[in-house]
Amino acid sequence: MGEFTVHRVRFFHYMPSGICAMAFNRRTERLAVARTDGSVELYSRTDHFFQEKVVPGRQQRSIQALCWVGKRLFGAGLSGEIAEFDLDNLRLKFSQDAYGGPIWSIVCNPQGTHLAAGCEDGTVKLFEILEDQIRFERNMGGQKGRIISLAWHSSGTKIAAGMIDMIKVFDLDSGNAVQRLLVERGSRMQQSQECVVWSVLFLSDIIVSGDSAGKVKMWDVNTGTLIKNHQVTEWDVLTLSVSQDETSLFAGTSEGTVVQFQLLDVVLGQEEKEWVRTRTFKNHTHDVIALAEADTVIISGGMDTQLVVRPLLDKLDFKSRDSSLLKILFPQRSLVSCAKKAGLLLFQYPTHLELWRLGDTEGHGPPGCILPVSRNPEKLLHLKIKGEDHVCCSAVAPCGEWIAYSTTSGIRLYRLQRDNKNVSITKVPKLPKVLRHAHQLCFSPDSSHLYGTTSSAVHVVALTSAGCKFEHSLKPKSGSTHPVRLLAVSSDGKFLASANSNSEIHIYNMHKLKAHCTVPVYRSGVSAMGIHPETNNLVIVHADHQIFEFSIEQMQYTDWSRRVQKEGLHHVWLERDTPVINVTFNPQNPNHVILHDSYMFCIIDQSLPLPDRKSQFHNQLTLKSLPEAERLKHSHAFKECKLYQPLLCVDMLENQSLVVVERPLLDITTNLPAPVRQKKFAT
Amino acid sequence: MKRDGGASHDSSDDDGAPDEVTFEDSKATALRSAREAAQAAKREKERFKEWRRKRQQFFLEQKKKRLLPEDVLEEIGDFPVQKLEVSEGGDEQAVGVKAKPSAGVKRAKVRRLQANCSVMRAKDQDEAASRQQAAVDFIQARLYGPGSRRMTNNQLLSIKSKRAVHKGAAVQFMNKSKGAELRAKAEKCNKRWIHKKKLI
Repeated sequence: MGEFTVHRVRFFHYMPSGICAMAFNRRTERLAVARTDGSVELYSRTDHFFQEKVVPGRQQRSIQALCWVGKRLFGAGLSGEIAEFDLDNLRLKFSQDAYGGPIWSIVCNPQGTHLAAGCEDGTVKLFEILEDQIRFERNMGGQKGRIISLAWHSSGTKIAAGMIDMIKVFDLDSGNAVQRLLVERGSRMQQSQECVVWSVLFLSDIIVSGDSAGKVKMWDVNTGTLIKNHQVTEWDVLTLSVSQDETSLFAGTSEGTVVQFQLLDVVLGQEEKEWVRTRTFKNHTHDVIALAEADTVIISGGMDTQLVVRPLLDKLDFKSRDSSLLKILFPQRSLVSCAKKAGLLLFQYPTHLELWRLGDTEGHGPPGCILPVSRNPEKLLHLKIKGEDHVCCSAVAPCGEWIAYSTTSGIRLYRLQRDNKNVSITKVPKLPKVLRHAHQLCFSPDSSHLYGTTSSAVHVVALTSAGCKFEHSLKPKSGSTHPVRLLAVSSDGKFLASANSNSEIHIYNMHKLKAHCTVPVYRSGVSAMGIHPETNNLVIVHADHQIFEFSIEQMQYTDWSRRVQKEGLHHVWLERDTPVINVTFNPQNPNHVILHDSYMFCIIDQSLPLPDRKSQFHNQLTLKSLPEAERLKHSHAFKECKLYQPLLCVDMLENQSLVVVERPLLDITTNLPAPVRQKKFAT
Repeated sequence: MKRDGGASHDSSDDDGAPDEVTFEDSKATALRSAREAAQAAKREKERFKEWRRKRQQFFLEQKKKRLLPEDVLEEIGDFPVQKLEVSEGGDEQAVGVKAKPSAGVKRAKVRRLQANCSVMRAKDQDEAASRQQAAVDFIQARLYGPGSRRMTNNQLLSIKSKRAVHKGAAVQFMNKSKGAELRAKAEKCNKRWIHKKKLI
């Protein structure tokens, strides 16, 4: 496997933000997740919940509700604006003030022609959805009391609005409230506190409400009477979700539980049916704020920042990768960039960047021992972002002299000068106008060029000590508009590979500034790629953990790649649930490819045989116990290391040392908001 | 009774001889004061008129001063002669012509404003921000406010570690960086207990 000096970095204080809204699009099978920092993430259900796109957040933008209308995504929040997200350019398309104060909820009608927004001033505002805007149509209601939740009946003629202490049903033809359902307050202690209807659902014949008294209530639509009352928790029921066929219902609570209700026969074989509480899932430690139901799985998210995908085993017929619980806590993109020559790390936070110089050691020791540090790691720079937009990408040049970052409103390039003790930074003026904002940034290995991408095009900017100069724009021949997700440069600077969110990979020749070739499209998204420094082979890892090696010079897959496809990868490898984030190479041993995901890093030795289906995958301990002579016979290409967890970055420096950036889970948990009080016996 | 008495007393005062003199006097003083007031008002009005006239004159002079001398205007170009004639007629037109030489400066100002700024009323902005803050406070109060029965994350982690398969202590004792004051409190409590039991 090889021996490395490892820099174990724990000073990247990455803090994910809580999930506050979710929406699942059944037609495109995409899940949109909004976080408290205002960012929106898109996951693909067909691709094992691979994070395809991220729309960066903004200060003061808080999203309370998300809503899919066809392929368009709308969001609204407490700033009082309804916004549409541009999923090609990963930014806001437009935002329109609803003039009703903070918006608590938006829903679209089943026909997809209108949006309804529930506002702070007690009105339900109807908007007509037009080609590239929304137009205000009319107001409904207008009494005091905020409208917290909304639900549209499948016929499109009625809207239920959850308010404080009551639910109102509005008729769309007349625009008046036709029913007023009073929700009782909690018992004893909470009697003085008003009851907030956090969530409401409008099924074909019943209205379901979840409130702050911890109850899930079912009301008759025609008479407005309470049919059934389930006390689910002592705290709040914050969210509800229903399956498409209206036979099962989920409620998310402050306790972190997700409770399932099902419509079951009262007596077996008879017509009469009743909603029965069936299962309780507890996968969260904090409040569950958002729920989404996607046929065979229930997806929940909340203040503990993780997205939990829970399979509903009664709807699955056989065991597969889909039938296991999936927790997504860490971002599926790299937030750390590493200057390999200078030994610098650039950490990307939403509102600032940090540049650190790695420590140094002069000691030597046996494998596994901790070496004494002769020079401590040092924070060189804390760069605050100007403006309200959050950073969407950042990069540091390999020589450590340039730093670039981009927000949705602008891109900035800085030149860094380091003396022995002083660090000075100067902003490079007059960046080319075509590069207004970038989805991905990277520097060429000799730090002479900056590559930035806007939607699908790659722009090349030459860097000199005098400033910067725009050189060329490279556009894919296919004319696709999907945003670029990954960039990889070969170490000789000749080739640049760009992978977009539609898993198309384009390779450009940077010496001729021309398109070189494209890689055949695979069905799963590209989660990581890297170009080998010696052979110029492109190693591509997809979200379903398939590995391909493509020879750029010969424009075809390599023999090793063909062998992998022929023999197939080991099932233990294919069943891993977190996608690979980064691909690097060992400069001393050209056969070594280093991959990492959030929980392990793995070295693939291309000279060794691949593990066959029946052999043991994690065989390192077994190999240790064998005598030297037999080891080679039993060893296979994959060597995993789980010593460092959870990982945000693994990279190889030029001086043959490995950098691992860890983020202990404990540090994240202690910074979360307060959980509900539990009393456990004997604690 | 009292009021009746008062009324009779007043009437007796009116009937008295010295009252007539006082009435004359008072009449004279009232007339004088009224006259004085009218004069004062008139003076005030005139003063205001004068001030307005002066101001008008000042403006006119200022306008004239700002205008370039006519020969200079004529020298600038032959074509604006027509416009100049019009400009002499009305004051507003004069302003228009006067703006012409400095048009470059004005346009630059506008451009700077429209580059990346948008105009909005500061009042609305404040109101929206305060309403947003009120909404955020509402959520905060409902979920984390008084009576919400919450505990700290350290307590949650402590429960977990105490009930795990390999039982451990509370977080503040496991992780030295957390819960310093809790640890100090526990130490103090220990000391007190030892003292109470007279163990030392």
